[in-house]
Amino acid sequence: MASTRERRISKELSDLQNDPNSGVSAHPVDNSLLHLKGIFPGPPDTPYAGGTFQVDILIPENYPFKSPVMKFDTKIWHPNVSSVTGAICLDTLGTGWSPVGTIKMALISLRMLLESPNPKDPQDAEVAKMMLEQPEAFAQKAHEWAVKYAGAPRRDTPVHNYQKVAPPPPRADDPARYQGYNKDLIDRFVHMGFDLDAVVEAFNYVGIDRNGGEDYVLEEAYMGDITARLLGEQ
Amino acid sequence: MKVKIKRWNAVATWRWDLPEDDLCGICQNPFDNTCPACKYPGDDCILLSGKCGHNFHMHCILEWMKQDSAKGQCPMCRQRFEWADQTNQTMRDAAQALASV
Repeated sequence: MASTRERRISKELSDLQNDPNSGVSAHPVDNSLLHLKGIFPGPPDTPYAGGTFQVDILIPENYPFKSPVMKFDTKIWHPNVSSVTGAICLDTLGTGWSPVGTIKMALISLRMLLESPNPKDPQDAEVAKMMLEQPEAFAQKAHEWAVKYAGAPRRDTPVHNYQKVAPPPPRADDPARYQGYNKDLIDRFVHMGFDLDAVVEAFNYVGIDRNGGEDYVLEEAYMGDITARLLGEQ
Repeated sequence: MKVKIKRWNAVATWRWDLPEDDLCGICQNPFDNTCPACKYPGDDCILLSGKCGHNFHMHCILEWMKQDSAKGQCPMCRQRFEWADQTNQTMRDAAQALASV
C-alpha cells in the first residue's frame, strides 16, 4: 500500500503545481512524500490578511482512507486552532474526511476556516471565549499575532466584522404562544433550533391534534410534515 | 493485380461504458486503469456504480467501506452507497462483500 499512497501524493502535488490559482501550495520535506508542508496566504478582509501560514502535513499509513494529519506551524490566534500546539479542529480533517478529499481541498478548507472562525466548536477555549465576549479585542490580537508570526503588514484591523452582536432580548415564555398545544411537545421542535411561533404555525398548518394540551408521541409522518413546513418545503 | 492476404492482426481498444467522469475519486487513477492494488484492468478490477450515480473501482470502494468513518456512505455525496447493477456474478460477490462490512 505504501507505493499506492505515495503515487497518489505525487499526483496531488503535481496537480497543485499546475493550478497556481488555487491559492494554496504544498511541498515535500526531507525527500519524503509522507511529510509535507502546506502554505497559504491569510484571506483578505480578516485579521490574518497579508500573512503567510504554514501547515505541517503527515500522510497516514492508509491514506486516503484516513485523513492527512495537519497542524499549524505558524502560530495563530484562532478559536479552532490551538494557540499552543497548532492543533486544528475541523470536521473535514476528522470524522468528516472522505477518501475523495485531497491535500489541496484540505488546505482550502483551512483557508476558509480563517475566514469563518467558529467559536462554538473550539480547539482553543481561551481564544473562543475572547472571540465571543470581546470580539474586537479578539480581532486585534489575531492581527497582532499575524504580524508577529505570519509576516502580515501592520494596519488598522478590520474590526467591523467582529463587532459584538447583541443577543435578542429574551421573550417571556407566554403560554398564549403555544395556542393550546402541550409545551414539551412544541419545545422538542424549538430545541432543534426552530422558532417557537414558526413551530406552532407549522402544527396548525399540518393540523396536529392538540390532545387537550397533553404531551404525546407524534407519528413519524406528522413529524416529517412539520419539519418540511418549517424548512419551507411546502 | 491480385493481392492475396496471408495473415492479419486485429487490434481493439476498450473502455468502461461510463457517461463521463474519468477518474476514480478514491485512488485518482483513470477508471480504464486498475485500482492501485491490481495489475490488469478489466474483469479483474471492475467498477461499482452507486445508485447515487457515482462510480469507483470496486476494490477502492470496498476498502473505504471497511473504515468505521465511512458509515456506509458514498465518498462523493454521502448518501448511503448502494450498488446499482448486480447483473453478473462478480457484481453479486461485491454486493455481498459490501453488505458484510
